[in-house]
Amino acid sequence: MSANGLKNRSGLVKLLPYAFILPPMIYLVVFMFWPLSRQMYMSLTNTRIVNPNRGRFIGLGNYERLIEDPAFYVSLKATLVYTVLTVLIGIALGVVAALAIDRPFKGRAVVRAILLFGWAVPGVAASLIWLWMYNERSGVFNRMTELLGIGRFSWLTSTDYALGSVLAVTVWQVAPFVMLVVLAALQSVPQEVREAARIDGADGISTFRAVTLPHIRPSIQLAALLVAVWSIRRFDIIYLLTGGGPLGSTSTLVVKLRQTAFEGHELGMASAYGAVGLALALMVAAVHYTVEQRRMKRMSR
Amino acid sequence: MFDRIRRRKLLATAAVAALALTVGLGAGETHAQSSEKVTLKLANSQWLDALRGKNLWAAVTKYQETNPNVTLEQEAIPSAEFADKLTTEMGAGQGPDVAMMQEGLFYAIADAGFLVDLSAAADGAKLNKSNENGVIDGKRLGVAWQRAVYALIYNKPLIDAANAKVPTTVDELIASAKAASAATPGVIGFTARHQINDFSGWFMDFQSWAYGYGVNWVDANGKLTINTPEAVAAITAFKKTYDAGIMPIGDSFPTQRTRFKEKHAAFSIDNSGGTLNIASGGALQSGDLYAAPMPFKNPGAHQQIFVGVSSHGKHQKEAIAFVKWLVGSVGQQALRDASGPDALATDVPVSDAYSKANPWAPTFVKLAETSRSTLIKGYEVETAQIMRFVMQAVEKVILANADPKTALAEAQSAIDKQF
Repeated sequence: MSANGLKNRSGLVKLLPYAFILPPMIYLVVFMFWPLSRQMYMSLTNTRIVNPNRGRFIGLGNYERLIEDPAFYVSLKATLVYTVLTVLIGIALGVVAALAIDRPFKGRAVVRAILLFGWAVPGVAASLIWLWMYNERSGVFNRMTELLGIGRFSWLTSTDYALGSVLAVTVWQVAPFVMLVVLAALQSVPQEVREAARIDGADGISTFRAVTLPHIRPSIQLAALLVAVWSIRRFDIIYLLTGGGPLGSTSTLVVKLRQTAFEGHELGMASAYGAVGLALALMVAAVHYTVEQRRMKRMSR
Repeated sequence: MFDRIRRRKLLATAAVAALALTVGLGAGETHAQSSEKVTLKLANSQWLDALRGKNLWAAVTKYQETNPNVTLEQEAIPSAEFADKLTTEMGAGQGPDVAMMQEGLFYAIADAGFLVDLSAAADGAKLNKSNENGVIDGKRLGVAWQRAVYALIYNKPLIDAANAKVPTTVDELIASAKAASAATPGVIGFTARHQINDFSGWFMDFQSWAYGYGVNWVDANGKLTINTPEAVAAITAFKKTYDAGIMPIGDSFPTQRTRFKEKHAAFSIDNSGGTLNIASGGALQSGDLYAAPMPFKNPGAHQQIFVGVSSHGKHQKEAIAFVKWLVGSVGQQALRDASGPDALATDVPVSDAYSKANPWAPTFVKLAETSRSTLIKGYEVETAQIMRFVMQAVEKVILANADPKTALAEAQSAIDKQF
């Protein structure tokens, strides 16, 4: 082969990675970055949903209104409480479930399938089933509480229980996902290290803390990041169960965004709510990144 | 020389003839296009209603019998998503050719300039007063499809079994509902919307309570006035009913309607469209369902649906021709047979046979004479946003035992800031 031919070939080889990365980049630009930049711009306009192309630039007007609106802080608080609790409870239950079914026992496949059920059911279908279970008059929960002699509860219409009820459905959906991720990580924990710890006289909890947990921590961290971001943007379960009520106790940013866009027809203002949600998600990602960097540093020492 | 001139003339004549032929052919093509098959897409949430949807569709598709070149196609959207979907579609320059919209949505779509002038369709039709709000800024942008007025409906055998009276006040309603529940175990006394997750339905239903106590939501100068003694009285009455233990708290309204349909509820406040649904195809026979004026001093509300033609449609001329047929005598008679006692665009009386088979119907017809729109006058496009604050005040009162006067004062303050 001539020198020119070799040169051309090495040039093509250099370009090959770019050729592979081009399709996903085009996809991301068209379906993610472009809509996202449109949304960010829209949050600086007074665009209405019935006339999306005739919005006027109003600078930070929407954000000023947002900051002055007490309902925004109610939404922000509801979003933060909902997200933090979903992550804490969902991760805890998912890890416990993963540890429980990690070891072989009779009927493990069946138990695993049952535990994964919540993750497999579509959010809308699950919400409608839970809506009936929560029904004050005919729901299975109130039938049970009545049998126990503690009376009926307003699961979805009382400010005391609504958030907890929505959380229960969310955790029921999220925990199986966490379980799956952690279970995959558990399968890769070297058996001989566990054995060695046991031979050295370590009890179950100590083995878990010293051997298993460091091994599965990156997976838990990743699951926590995903669950947190999903919780910030979750709509179906909350909207179908409570619509953001009662008294705004479950009115997260996404529920408020829908209300602003479709009831008030204020697409510009709704975009501002979306931008705040995006900022929250990015903050969570930044925390994840910082923690991960520290862990890597520690490991390299 | 002459030959050249003659040749030029010949060429010019040929060119003119060719042009004329082309234009002629073009005109012929245009004519052919107008008689070509066109499909009109009709958006309506009612197409999904059990039985009523089928009957309404059968009524409108009669148009195809006399207009074989037009094919009507359904765009069936669930009522809860109808406004969201239609505003998104039309905002994007798409959507149906013809839409049957709730009054609030109609005003929003008209305000955005997405509806065409229907003067040609209305010309010659004997439109009644239910079409008044279809004229915006002197332009007819909509004609009435149906007007569904609210009334107190009741299951007569259950009321008779309890020896209860048909109530004329809220206190009597509570007493009669309790009596019905006591006489027939498992029966719910009264059903009504009461949850914020059903906001658009709840605020329209609540207008009957508000209007019943004399609320206007605007003062004589057209200023939004929410915290009035009348509004306080309306919320207090609603709270009293809510706390009386006669309502199935937490039930969605479709569930409550199903309970009524299955003979498990004694009283309800519902509109004529909903009542027609209850009276069709359930355990409760239409002959056992009765209606009375609501237990308030003043007339209540009605839900109005308008027909509009989209300016984004490709077949606007054909769509206007369809609306013209719809408000004509043939279209209105077809619609009457499928619409129960709802008021239509023209005065087509409910037949005696229908009234006899459906004893609840005449009350609705009577109440439609004095009922009011669910929209706030002068704030038609913003009504939903304003009523969101009002319904949040109602929610505070019924769930957190807030003082109605204080809750309404807070709503007033929020409204003053925004409007």
